[in-house]
Amino acid sequence: MWRKPFTVMFGGQAGYGIMSAGALVAKAGARNGLWAFVVNEYPSLIKGGLNTCIVSFDANPVKAYEERLDFLCALSQEALDQNYNKLDRGAAVLYDSDAVKPDRDKVPQAVTLYPVKLIGSLSGETAKVMANSAMLGAFCALSGFPIEKIADIMKTGFIKAKVLQQNLTLLYQTFDQTRSLFAEEKTFPLSFQADGNRKMLLNGNDAIAMGAIKAGVKFAAGYPMTPGSSVLTYLADHAVEYGLVFKQAEDEIAAVNMLIGAGFAGVRALGSTSGGGFALMTEALGFAAQAEVPLVIVNAQRGGPSTGLPTRTAQADLNFVVHASQGEFPRIVMAPGDVEECFFETFQLFNLVEKFQVPGIILTDKYLADSSIVHPYFEDGDLRVDRGALVDESWLNDNQPYLRYRAAEDGVSPRAIPGQMKGRHIATSYTHGEDGFYSSGNREYAAQEPEITAAGLDKLFAKVPGILQEIQGVKLHGPQAAELTIIGWGSSKGAILEAITAVNQTGRTVNFLQVLYLSPFPAEAVQAVLQGSKRTLLIEGNKTGQLGAMIRTYTGLSMEEVYLKYDSRPFTPALIIEKIKEVLL
Amino acid sequence: MEDLKNSYVPTWCIGCGNYGIWNAWKKAFMSLNLDPEQTALVTGIGCSSKIAQYLNTYRIETLHGRSLPVATGVKLANHQLTVIAEGGDGDGMGLGIGHFIHTARRNLDITYLIHNNQIYGLTKGQSSPTSDLGIVTKFTPPPRGNVEQPINIVQTALQAGASFVARSTAADPKLAEIIAQAIKHKGFSVIDILQPCVSFNHVNTYKWYQERVYAVSELSDYDPTDYTKATAVAAQWGDKIPTGVIYAAERMTYESSLPQLAVQTLSIQSIEAIIVTPLMDELA
Repeated sequence: MWRKPFTVMFGGQAGYGIMSAGALVAKAGARNGLWAFVVNEYPSLIKGGLNTCIVSFDANPVKAYEERLDFLCALSQEALDQNYNKLDRGAAVLYDSDAVKPDRDKVPQAVTLYPVKLIGSLSGETAKVMANSAMLGAFCALSGFPIEKIADIMKTGFIKAKVLQQNLTLLYQTFDQTRSLFAEEKTFPLSFQADGNRKMLLNGNDAIAMGAIKAGVKFAAGYPMTPGSSVLTYLADHAVEYGLVFKQAEDEIAAVNMLIGAGFAGVRALGSTSGGGFALMTEALGFAAQAEVPLVIVNAQRGGPSTGLPTRTAQADLNFVVHASQGEFPRIVMAPGDVEECFFETFQLFNLVEKFQVPGIILTDKYLADSSIVHPYFEDGDLRVDRGALVDESWLNDNQPYLRYRAAEDGVSPRAIPGQMKGRHIATSYTHGEDGFYSSGNREYAAQEPEITAAGLDKLFAKVPGILQEIQGVKLHGPQAAELTIIGWGSSKGAILEAITAVNQTGRTVNFLQVLYLSPFPAEAVQAVLQGSKRTLLIEGNKTGQLGAMIRTYTGLSMEEVYLKYDSRPFTPALIIEKIKEVLL
Repeated sequence: MEDLKNSYVPTWCIGCGNYGIWNAWKKAFMSLNLDPEQTALVTGIGCSSKIAQYLNTYRIETLHGRSLPVATGVKLANHQLTVIAEGGDGDGMGLGIGHFIHTARRNLDITYLIHNNQIYGLTKGQSSPTSDLGIVTKFTPPPRGNVEQPINIVQTALQAGASFVARSTAADPKLAEIIAQAIKHKGFSVIDILQPCVSFNHVNTYKWYQERVYAVSELSDYDPTDYTKATAVAAQWGDKIPTGVIYAAERMTYESSLPQLAVQTLSIQSIEAIIVTPLMDELA
């Protein structure tokens, strides 16, 4: 029922260029009219262990990864041992004849094995650096993937001419050698034709960082934590070019407080981390809310609890993130489902946090953060920066005395920044009145404490209706009316979309309610859809159905069917199709 | 001077050393003729950090121990500002010790004033990271009192790489001058200000400090640019406590090492219509 894309897996030890091989073929495809989805899986190790990179190619955009392989390139024994059961009928297995010994009993029927001397033809360090070129040469010979397209990409990827030449030589040598060993198979089913559309290969973290740059982020701070770090690396790489500063902090507590300082001083600030780092940031999250300092933090989730699984995926920080920090205050939590939303909603979130002077959190995960996709250029011409109630000096001059936290119906007070004339004020983590002062600082002030406290919280929460009005809290994908409505959030979007498209082609109707903004919770929008749903299926990457509980809390509605996956690997279309079938039977 | 005050009367105890620091702060500020609109004061939490409530510059009163990272963010966002961080010994040497060491290492142009009363005052009398050995507090009862080695702020600052390190007392008539020097210094400046807590520290009193402090300038040929000599002097604590500018040296500031700041201050950059097409080209 579902035509899966052509899927190739490159596997081998860390350090052998597995991931760059995958990126290379994906780019080669992208420049020649193909679409691709690239998923890296790797343990938290620097050397050794099994690294795999799965690339799925299709003539149409690919939204999710699938583990049924058409082609496996195994540079190490583990790369074959752990993947026998993923080989599809008719699959080809290329393996290093020196390093890998196949177990014939485990090879599925109608799978062909191709032993080729890959690493063994090289010596020492060269083997590591160049093994992937040998592998790609053999892959092209066996699959029919055009070798010159690979060579073209290599030519733009190496800085040193000598290294490039060595790799190209090896690529073609292995290609010729493999051709002489095996009759040409040409299993690659897609034709290469540049379609003139400009496409890029990028992952969720690239898209978030690019969206932040477009939004004018000027300051970023963080402490390295997989899989959140690459947002920061991206910003560090482009800091001088875009006139921004990235500061590596001593820990996440320092990082988030730096963001608050920068936000207070009037620049757009971004941090990026994973659950453990976010845990350290939580006290300051409340401080940002209390002092009404805008900032954005990325939490790229990984398996947990605690240090959990550094390089694997999960959607289990939802409860934590929407409730993080002591006391009560609104924050905006956005969970992008694909790179498109990573880019555009990150841009939008920077506008929102300044308009409402609240902290914002981008809740992504390893699968989205780290998986690359061939995607058209973002059409960003209509994006407009909106800095909300950030005032200028002439406004300040006309509005004296200036009260930073002046009561306002929508909870948003005009914001001055250090350096501006007549805007001096105090921002504080203490409960405070309109001028930022607080009760333990003055006896007269203390007498009004109960009123100031209640008014302060009312002011923070007065922002919620405005936020709900501005966010696109949910998206309904597929037919308006359906036999089954799937509810989910975040990175499972692609797999769910692929699955419902396939199922709907068979004459059944399934739609998908994606909750894009999780806090403040878009209760009315969720309720409007679910009340009209015939049957419901909740899909989440956690053990306890956290979104389901939120829906129950805010709407009183319970999901009828639940599909929870918490084995540290992402949902795939095939798994979801299977579940849909089970529910619709 | 009037411009730096606001209408609120401090809630510090009568006789508290914070008053002396508050006055010296204002004097230093006036003597340098600084613009309060161009100044950001960043404090932590505690009695000393309340000073942010009683001065009329741009101010941000942060979380316990976190003044320095916040000050770092402020300074990098707008390096034209005069940035002063301030707080107590508990705030800065307890929760904040890691930030203190790293901020010193970075040498941002920030002045850090530490009100060091060797006790936790606002939580009513627990030991602090600078409490002397043997001192009896609510959390360090008799017979042994405090058994942990106190942190010597001056020594720690020097070792961490602060480019200006001084010590003074809340009652020192020279305090204002030292603060002014610290603000003028380009780089991370630390002043350990010995400040009696009249309510909870009955050992380290005005008298106790007065009997022990001496000015390093009284030493024959003391040279505050001599790191080796400064570290030797900094180690002193007890019967003799050195005060004054103990170390001052030129060192490149963190912000001056960033080419992007040489082009333009972050906070005044226009962020309208930033073009990211080149970023997309890189990924094509």
